[in-house]
Amino acid sequence: MTQARPHRPLRALLAELWQDKPAALGLAVILAIVAMAILAPLVAPYDPADQSILSRLTPPVWNDRGSWEHILGTDNLGRDVFSRLIWGARTTLTIGGLTCLIAAGIGTVVGLWAGFMGGRTDSVLMRLVDIQVSFPGILLILLVVGVLGPGMWTLIIVLSVTNWMVYARLVRSVVSSTRQTPYVEAAEVIGCRPSRVIFVHILPNLVSPLLTLLILEFTNIVLAEAAVSFLGFGVQPPDTSWGLDVASGRDYLFIAWWLVTFPGLAIVATVLSINLFANWLRVTTDPEEREKRHARTVAARRRRRGTA
Amino acid sequence: MTFRVLAMSAGLAALFMSASGGSVSAQAITIAIGSEPSTLDPQLRDDGGERQVNDNIYEALMARTPEGELIEGLAAAAPEQIDETTWQFTLREGVTFHNGAPFNADAVVASVERVIDPENNSEQMAYFGTIAGAEKVDDMTVIILTSGPDPILPSRMYWMKMIDPGYAAEGDLASAPVGTGPYMFESWDRGTELELAAYPDYWGGEPEIDEVTYRFVPEPGTRLSGLMAGEFDVITNLLPEFTSTVPKFAAVPGLETSVFVLGTDNEVTQDPKVREALNLAIDREAMVQALFMGYASIAKGTHVNPAAFGFNDDLDYYDYDPERARALIEEADAVGAPLVVVGESGRWLKDREQIEAVAAYWAETGLDVTTDIQEFSQYLDSLMGDGPRPDAIFIANSNELLDADRETSFIYHMDGAAASNSDAEMAEMIDEARVETDEDARQALYDEILKRAHDRNYTVPLFNLQDIYGMSERMEWQPRTDAKLIISEMSVSE
Repeated sequence: MTQARPHRPLRALLAELWQDKPAALGLAVILAIVAMAILAPLVAPYDPADQSILSRLTPPVWNDRGSWEHILGTDNLGRDVFSRLIWGARTTLTIGGLTCLIAAGIGTVVGLWAGFMGGRTDSVLMRLVDIQVSFPGILLILLVVGVLGPGMWTLIIVLSVTNWMVYARLVRSVVSSTRQTPYVEAAEVIGCRPSRVIFVHILPNLVSPLLTLLILEFTNIVLAEAAVSFLGFGVQPPDTSWGLDVASGRDYLFIAWWLVTFPGLAIVATVLSINLFANWLRVTTDPEEREKRHARTVAARRRRRGTA
Repeated sequence: MTFRVLAMSAGLAALFMSASGGSVSAQAITIAIGSEPSTLDPQLRDDGGERQVNDNIYEALMARTPEGELIEGLAAAAPEQIDETTWQFTLREGVTFHNGAPFNADAVVASVERVIDPENNSEQMAYFGTIAGAEKVDDMTVIILTSGPDPILPSRMYWMKMIDPGYAAEGDLASAPVGTGPYMFESWDRGTELELAAYPDYWGGEPEIDEVTYRFVPEPGTRLSGLMAGEFDVITNLLPEFTSTVPKFAAVPGLETSVFVLGTDNEVTQDPKVREALNLAIDREAMVQALFMGYASIAKGTHVNPAAFGFNDDLDYYDYDPERARALIEEADAVGAPLVVVGESGRWLKDREQIEAVAAYWAETGLDVTTDIQEFSQYLDSLMGDGPRPDAIFIANSNELLDADRETSFIYHMDGAAASNSDAEMAEMIDEARVETDEDARQALYDEILKRAHDRNYTVPLFNLQDIYGMSERMEWQPRTDAKLIISEMSVSE
């Protein structure tokens, strides 16, 4: 199916993206945030760990008490909120991105295998998933952190290990229903090797549900990372992450809204942008959805021409 | 057994109904506390939530005034020391337990024996380690025996709650307590709330507030919004920033002192110059003003509470001298040397902020500082376990007995659970002070111990923290130095 699609140069793809304004905006925001995270040392006005206790809880610049020195104000130890936002992007994106990729990788492999083989393999693998689901995540985190010590990489490993099951379940259900479809059966009948059936005929069906799930899970991971870091399992000071800043700022919500609001907005902006872009990507990668979209645009064009 | 308890609480409830039915304006208040009691047995656990409730249900032989002075409680007078290891208490007449049983020498003997019984494995033995037993002299006189000379036995007896031996044998102490205090247990809806009602026959007179509901709210923000919404009358551990937001608040110098214990045998911190630099690098004044809005005072050269016996008044504050600190680190050839700061988050007032702030100050001296915020049980293991001592570990140390012995044995004595030094000479002095019965000689010993630890920078003392309570408009209450929530001292104006 994928091979049926004509080869498109990048320019054509970008033009297609430009048709969908929200998606284009989403991609722009994602790229901006990623660039910000990569270039953090150059962009951030201050060291995120630089504290000045006496000027703590300074509000953002547009407030009466604010100043241009700290555009988004300072936090509960007098650290620059804007700089922490920029540096926090690094940690948050690394943890969120890598965890989602690793968890999705493990989950997809297990799900594909279970769904395709069926029978006893399926039962064994799915019971494994059930066991892992029923095992309390926090206990596993405690165990792993106890052995490896807290830190960003421990966190990525632990969160991947506690979050892959949902992918496995999703992939397995899609695979086992796709196996029954005529074109898969046909492919098997004419003697395609299993690997070809899996990668060419089944995997493309997984792209859009997996993308949707990945984005939902990214939000979950960001929040889980915040909770775990706040307890002391995860990111250690002076490093920071958006979630950690939200968690440690919530006690001050009544008097200093900017501690929670800006990292919170950063999380929202990231997740929303990914969502908008992913929505376009999902349609673009799914042949059936592509057809429908094309038909809609053509119909709309005709209507406009008709009324004009 | 369950039936008996039910019958008994029904009986108590009936008693309460008949008592309060007559009064026109029954007054009820709601208090939000941070943690739910793990049990209501007053003698087994060392649990703050349990104490916040049971301090109103039970009493001890000795008590303290709100300012912290030791006075008689269930004892009729201060105890008489007969010889080095024997103390005689005369008991107050006319005291009864909530179930009607009389309070007498048998109750005292049973209470003492129950706490120190090794089979009960009471966590409170940290306070009662020297007590060897109790003997009845006559119905209203009792002697308490100690294993060695123990100058602070009266303070210890302020901590030991008295139970009814009859009820202890057949009742359910853990979930339906019966004491002699001004309030009696009404109901406990686990996970939600706990209710107490005034005890009409209390020997000190019936308290003003008739009914108390405790709610368990771990989140400070939730406690605050509950207070603002009028749901709670008293909340504990109010953040200093919110003193201007709440209808009413009260602050009182508390029992807790925050301190970093330095590992004097560790590679970097074994150098006295490094330890001195760590003490000089912190701008404590700025932290008090900004972080605590003035609701804390700088610890005067030691983590021993200034209200405790044995506090050395002559110690100096550690200066803030970042230049000198940097110079000392350079002299010690420790620039870039790794220093690991261990701490926890969420247990004490602004703990994480203190740890992060101090770590940042230390990083300015040129050391390579890493912070390790640990999960609480893991932290406790770092603090008191057998593993290697951390370079620096944070603790907000509390001194309930208001005597220097607890703080010095815990943090200065080389065999102490949270100590990180190997100063045998100082350990000897601490052992000596513990059993010295002459007050002046004992004070002199503590002066020397605290001076020695101060000069050698064994710890980095930070602040004597204040306890801040938020209150609704109608509450009248002056909080106590010992942080006990004594409801009979509160009143409501309407």
